[in-house]
Amino acid sequence: MSITPTTAPVTAAEAKNALKDIEQTENRAAASRHGRFAAPHLIVWGVAWAIGYTANDLAPQYPWVWTVVVLGGIAGSFLFDRKEAAGRVKGFGWRYLVSFATVFVFIYALFVIMQPHDYNQVGAFFPLVIGLYYTFIGVWTKGGWRMLPLGLALMALTLGGYYFLPEHFLLWMAAVGGGGLILGGLWLRSV
Amino acid sequence: MADDGGQPNPLIHQPVRLKIMSALKGLNEREMLEFVKLKQLSGATEGNLGAHITSLETAGYIEVAKDFHNNRPRTRAKLTRAGRRAFEDYVAYLRSIIGEG
Repeated sequence: MSITPTTAPVTAAEAKNALKDIEQTENRAAASRHGRFAAPHLIVWGVAWAIGYTANDLAPQYPWVWTVVVLGGIAGSFLFDRKEAAGRVKGFGWRYLVSFATVFVFIYALFVIMQPHDYNQVGAFFPLVIGLYYTFIGVWTKGGWRMLPLGLALMALTLGGYYFLPEHFLLWMAAVGGGGLILGGLWLRSV
Repeated sequence: MADDGGQPNPLIHQPVRLKIMSALKGLNEREMLEFVKLKQLSGATEGNLGAHITSLETAGYIEVAKDFHNNRPRTRAKLTRAGRRAFEDYVAYLRSIIGEG
């Protein structure tokens, strides 16, 4: 910072530099805050994906594993969000419930209409949507730019696995989807 | 906006204090920032940061809380209303100098 610790009037150049430093510090603080909020979600869903996709590959006769995994992920996210929103968001519980219920209805309707005919299609759909969501967060939120490369990487890895490793796609998603989210979460936490 | 005679607020007009205030400004009223994170964001040494935090706390610009978290001592800080107002005035003062105010 170029300002001097005196109470002498500040020159235009000093003021400009001080404002620049303020903006940089605010941006770094916003990124740090965003990382603290997003990191636990990424880690929880990374673990959920790793378990779900692995189980799907090794034991496709038990598709209900995903239900357990998703409910566990929602519960984990809810606990983190509730802590973050405590006292700030009125009616947090029912808003959360309605949001996830809407997501379920949307996905159910989508699959009924589109009728995917194999696991890989369903398995690719969710990471693509999540990747899109992360990309938007990266573009639109202050301090959230790290979500942009995470979202783009998630979509690219999903498409890569879908087209080039169709026989091992579910394991691929367990490793790079689940593992990627966990690493992304650890990266955000370190900011 | 500034002290008498168009001078900047001497309590904020210091590089490290300005960074401390900038880092705390984005928090909501219930949030506090840990000393370790403030040290990282301000780039100050531990002793230096502690001295500036004490000055800002004495001025009533920040509130400091000390407790134990996971069996470790923890120091956290947040802007008071007076601190937020003083910071906003200071930024307005800087903007007025460059003709943006």
